[in-house]
Amino acid sequence: MSLVPELAELTAYHRERCAEYDRILAALGAGDTFAEVADLPWLPVRLFKTHELKSIPDSEVFRVLTSSGTTGAPSRIFLDKAAAAAQTRQLSATLQRVLGPSRLPMLVVDRKSIVRSSSARGAGVLGMANFGRKHVYLLDESEQPDLAALQRFLDTHGGEPFLVFGFTFLVWQYLYVLAREHGLDLSNGILIHSGGWKKLADRAVDNAEFRRRFAEDTGLRRIHNYYGMVEQIGTVFVEGPSGDGLYCPDFADVVIRDPRTWAEQPVGVPGVIEVVSTLPRSYPGHVLLTEDLGVCHGIDDGDWPGKRFTVLGRLPKAEVRGCSDTVAA
Amino acid sequence: MNLDLGAPRLDVGDERVVAFLDRFGRRLLTLGRRFPELASLGFFLRRAEIERELSRLDGLRQPRGVVFHVPPANVDTVFVYSWALSALAGNINVVRISPRAGAAARAILDVWQELDEPVITRTQRMITYDRDDELTAELSAAADLRVLWGGDDSVRALRKFPLQPHARDLTFPDRSSFAIISVTAWQRASARERRSAVEAFFTDAYWFDQAACSSPRGVFWVGDQDVSAEFRALLVAVTQEKGHVTEPAMAVQNRVSTYGAAADGRVARISFDSDAVTSLESTDVLREWLGVGVFTHSRVSSLAELVPKVRRKDQTVTHFGFEQAELIDFAKRSGVDRVVPFGSALRFFPVWDGYHLLTEFTKLITVTV
Repeated sequence: MSLVPELAELTAYHRERCAEYDRILAALGAGDTFAEVADLPWLPVRLFKTHELKSIPDSEVFRVLTSSGTTGAPSRIFLDKAAAAAQTRQLSATLQRVLGPSRLPMLVVDRKSIVRSSSARGAGVLGMANFGRKHVYLLDESEQPDLAALQRFLDTHGGEPFLVFGFTFLVWQYLYVLAREHGLDLSNGILIHSGGWKKLADRAVDNAEFRRRFAEDTGLRRIHNYYGMVEQIGTVFVEGPSGDGLYCPDFADVVIRDPRTWAEQPVGVPGVIEVVSTLPRSYPGHVLLTEDLGVCHGIDDGDWPGKRFTVLGRLPKAEVRGCSDTVAA
Repeated sequence: MNLDLGAPRLDVGDERVVAFLDRFGRRLLTLGRRFPELASLGFFLRRAEIERELSRLDGLRQPRGVVFHVPPANVDTVFVYSWALSALAGNINVVRISPRAGAAARAILDVWQELDEPVITRTQRMITYDRDDELTAELSAAADLRVLWGGDDSVRALRKFPLQPHARDLTFPDRSSFAIISVTAWQRASARERRSAVEAFFTDAYWFDQAACSSPRGVFWVGDQDVSAEFRALLVAVTQEKGHVTEPAMAVQNRVSTYGAAADGRVARISFDSDAVTSLESTDVLREWLGVGVFTHSRVSSLAELVPKVRRKDQTVTHFGFEQAELIDFAKRSGVDRVVPFGSALRFFPVWDGYHLLTEFTKLITVTV
């Protein structure tokens, strides 16, 4: 089913309620009818760092989410009660596909206090903790792995399906290494991880290697990477069972764009990732151009129906010359 | 930092410095093919130019003493102009070079090392360091004059390091610049003249990624008709011919900043004329850096109408199609620092931001009998 009518309705909805968004679309001369998803006007995701964009009155703001940018101001995402409920509901629907209907015992590859930090890691753990029960944290407060805790968890829950969640790099550095060294059996686990491959690239570990070594050395075969961002909270793109790419939930889509012409790239040609979701109603974040590069591998030709794609990494930063850049002392 | 107090004393216009600058300039000229900005720098340092500058000094003058220069990290050549004029004034100079300085700066430093002139190396220092409050404090305390270039924030931060009571700062903070075009002159100009005007504008704007203080951020069309469409089309053609490439990250930057300006209600219309040219319809120039190849186009019926729009921050006005008398009148009434023809925005003038540098770098002595 095409998302275009709902996205067009959302575009009009946000134009009516968010004056800044309306001014941007007016300045671009955007129309109100769209033939395809790729025809919808997009906002660069960084605009949520520079501007407060919301489609709800201040009195309705229920939660403000912030991203953890490494530099500059964080993104600020405004949710009312309905939006907060919708994002949890839709995230749950998306994850049920890999986790099944019941809450599983959960191993978190992080430290417990991370949920109190305002980092992306903290937000990720906090959001995902809802989908598990009997949470055990693998790292102690000095971020060292706690072997005894892991062994206790596996003794109790290792014989039934259990959920493992963490950032890709931490999962590799702590869980994989520990399980391999101690010959632990993770074969009943379902691993959900995210965060990118940059830190692992130095160790020559890519997605395929990650999956292969986990399977061979720990028995863990049900592995799902995912891609998502606070600016489209509740929408996650989950990797198919065989690792053949990330898939869109049925209320979302991606468009890979040519960074010169901004036209949609054909299958197989890398470009900048635009994420599309019908979920954002409290802020105009339904069509966002990310600063990530990706490539679409195919449509309806993989594990699951729909488009499948991979994230290739961040757009390289622009180097700027100019006078106004003497760094203090 | 060990300042060589036994170093030879230099005079204002010291022949040894003039000779060195001349040699230095000639060497830089040979690098002009790779770094066009070094060619203009090379010209500036030749003996004839330097002597002309010296002849503008009046009165009985002495060097100020020790001058500490903090040039901008990303404009590769500014440190040489700042240093060269101060050396010409006979000062002992310490120039802080950012470790993030670009390829042209590194080429300059290579030449500097290669020329290795004892009188110069004992009195003049180019030092590279990143963040070192102790060293900055030490150099500030030793200086008779401190020369600060760069963003407002970095100037403010550097000013926190105390100077000696008699010393002072010469600051070149954030500035912004724009272009003015006479509509009637544009209409009267031949196709060739229009094209070469746009080529000159290209040089002004695209070198230094439109981020130099004197790079035009927008165009004011002065007159009664809107003829900007042809200018924009020519600019698209010129950027293509010159092989200008907009990196994807820069293209995203252009979107973030222009959408943001639209969200603020500061631009009425955004047009992506090509990947290298973005045109904004606005009643005023947007003074902050928005990206590379992003220009506001605004209309005023006369220069007099433009005067009230000018701010303290405005530095360079590049002009096309006006009479000298009109420009002088506009400059006097608006208070901008510098009015230059298209193509000269980035050319360094020994008078900068209203200061005659050589005068600033010397002290005036009076003897009464």
